[in-house]
Amino acid sequence: MPKKILIIDDDPVVVKYLMAVFSDNGYATCSASSSMEGLDVVKTEKPDLICLDLQMPGEWGPRFYRKLRKDKELKDTPIIVVSGIDGDHAIKDAVAFVKKPFDPEKLIGIVKNTIG
Amino acid sequence: MNKKLLLVDDEEGIRKVLGIALSDAGYTVFLAKNAEEALEIFRKETPPIVLTDIKMPGMDGIELLQKIKRENPDTEVIMISGHGDMDLAIKSLKYQAIDFVTKPINDDVLEIALNRAHEKIRMREQLREYTENLETLVSEKSAKLIEVERQVAVGQAVEGLSSAMRDIAGDLEGGLTYFNEMPCFVSVHNPKLKIIAVNPLYKERLGDKVGHNSWDVYSANTGVGFTCPAEKTFKTGKGLRTKAILKTADGDKAPVIVHTAPIRNQDGTVELVVEISADITEVKRLREELNRTQQRYQQLFDEVPCYISVQDRQFQLTATNRRFKEDFDVQIGAFCHEVYKHRDAPCPNCPVARTFEDGQSHQAEMVVTAKTGEQYNVLIWTAPLKNPAGEITHVMEMSTNITEIRKLQDNLSSLGLKISSISHGIKGLLTGLDGGMYLMETGFAKAKPERVHAGWEDVKTIVSRIRKLVHDILFFAKERELKRDRVHILNFAEDVASTVEPKIKADGIEFVRDFDTLPAEIEIDAGVVRLALINILENALDACAEDDAPKRHKIVFSVKGDDQQVKFEIKDNGIGMDRETRENLFTLFFSSKGNKGTGLGLFIADKIIDQHGGKITVQSTPGQGSNFKITIPGSFQNTTRNPKEKTE
Repeated sequence: MPKKILIIDDDPVVVKYLMAVFSDNGYATCSASSSMEGLDVVKTEKPDLICLDLQMPGEWGPRFYRKLRKDKELKDTPIIVVSGIDGDHAIKDAVAFVKKPFDPEKLIGIVKNTIG
Repeated sequence: MNKKLLLVDDEEGIRKVLGIALSDAGYTVFLAKNAEEALEIFRKETPPIVLTDIKMPGMDGIELLQKIKRENPDTEVIMISGHGDMDLAIKSLKYQAIDFVTKPINDDVLEIALNRAHEKIRMREQLREYTENLETLVSEKSAKLIEVERQVAVGQAVEGLSSAMRDIAGDLEGGLTYFNEMPCFVSVHNPKLKIIAVNPLYKERLGDKVGHNSWDVYSANTGVGFTCPAEKTFKTGKGLRTKAILKTADGDKAPVIVHTAPIRNQDGTVELVVEISADITEVKRLREELNRTQQRYQQLFDEVPCYISVQDRQFQLTATNRRFKEDFDVQIGAFCHEVYKHRDAPCPNCPVARTFEDGQSHQAEMVVTAKTGEQYNVLIWTAPLKNPAGEITHVMEMSTNITEIRKLQDNLSSLGLKISSISHGIKGLLTGLDGGMYLMETGFAKAKPERVHAGWEDVKTIVSRIRKLVHDILFFAKERELKRDRVHILNFAEDVASTVEPKIKADGIEFVRDFDTLPAEIEIDAGVVRLALINILENALDACAEDDAPKRHKIVFSVKGDDQQVKFEIKDNGIGMDRETRENLFTLFFSSKGNKGTGLGLFIADKIIDQHGGKITVQSTPGQGSNFKITIPGSFQNTTRNPKEKTE
């Protein structure tokens, strides 16, 4: 049973890219284009890791993060921030902060270290 | 000492002998042979001492004593009695005879009796004198008291006159309203034309003339027959106003205007006259000094590189400086918010209002509209103006025009803003390109053409986004040259309309195309004009979407024109705009939409139309909607226009 990664990003091109990278490395993926949608998907898909963008229309990544942390079942899900803005302080216990544009090899390395 | 003495006896021998003896003792002796005669003489001569026999025919000595004492109680009466009428003698003492002597008369006894009479008289005189002195003393003291009372009354009168002084100040044409600052000599005169009181300035300049004649201070050249103002007032009972020349204490002459006022007692007779003389030269000097000071302040007020206004609690302008008048249409009494911002109500963050509240100086930055229609950024300082009682009656507002600085800052901050958003955008685009390339690479590697194709689609999407971003950057970086496109008006309008229509209809708003145009072609940069029109149409959409009024919202997009000129009109029945919003509409980063607006849309639209040599005009009424009219000439010249020279 492959580990599942949730990708939350408003840019469909980026979502497509990340899905390709993760699936090429043997992970299952699911995606959401906003924080709100992301919360729903987290509950239904129960991913092993979340790949989160910060700047999105509507609610930004940090808001998603705070809501996620209130849910006892899901609050321990590791998060990797993948964003173009400087926001490493916004999500304080993120596993890693990856700046766009990113090196896919490096990102996969972090993912492997986190969930195997 | 009155040495008169009346001797009364019916025996002539006694009258003769005793008479001689008394005359020798220094008395002027009057003789009477009976009581009736004695009374007659007594009434005529009023001698202080009467010597009378008791037993006489007719009226006896006792009765005479009683009558004399009744007529003049101070007369001392000595009784002469024979042997055996001691009872009568004693009875006479009861009737206030001073003493009695018995016949034959012993000279020593008589002398003792006379001395006693004299002693009594002297004592009584002393007593009377003392009593009379006392009365004098009392009347003296009362007179002094009355004088003091009167002076107090005069003092009150002088104080009460201070209000009258203001009228006098009016005569002097100056704005001098304060009694204390007036160079006036005040004096009070009595009916004997003596000065009885003067004020300190009088004392200082003219000398302490209390007790002097009322006319003393008037210059000698007033001549014989001169009636001084105080005297005239006593005579006529009326106050007067006249010019005169006074002699000052140091011998100078002082031209004055003299005012007099009668002060009447309860009977209505003039008891005192108050004379007030205003030194004309002093007034002139003060007025000149005042003028000079005022002039200096006026110059400062007018020349400082600020707009200065003085406002009352209703924000009405009570004074403005020259620069203010140059740049704004000012009528005294107009409201600040009217003149500066064309608002009907005071501005919500008014620093003047805050200064009225707390008495402190406040700052604010605002955008105001000059009479030329130009927008100025001003930095405002306020300062409270207080009356002598310390109450804030007005606030002074100084506004510095910082438009140029602000423009520079606008450019810088817009550059900063753009750079940060561009850099974020670029990061996203690079990531997207990476994604596209990754898919293509892995697609080739795994020989999956559909994956290569998907990657290629992504690359195309990203490239078009890059194109748009570059367009935006060019708008901000500099005025870019317009690209010349020949477009068919109708096709162009249709293209614009179909871009926004779905969005408008999705919000339940009616969209009406009203195209009434000749099949003509115009020369425009279609890409940017399209952008401008879409910006305005999207604003119309927001104006309708935000309007809570229960009405059917509608946006009408009309186009009229030929190959010379095309007129677009975008009309909505949404929330509308107040004048301030209307005037700031095309300002960079001005947004009436809170966080939803960027403040870029209409700024860009205005810039685009301006570049085409066209113009945008706006009509709007709050609650009724807005109407944007965009006029563009059939072709344009590619010159970089200075927005300041834009005519509207």
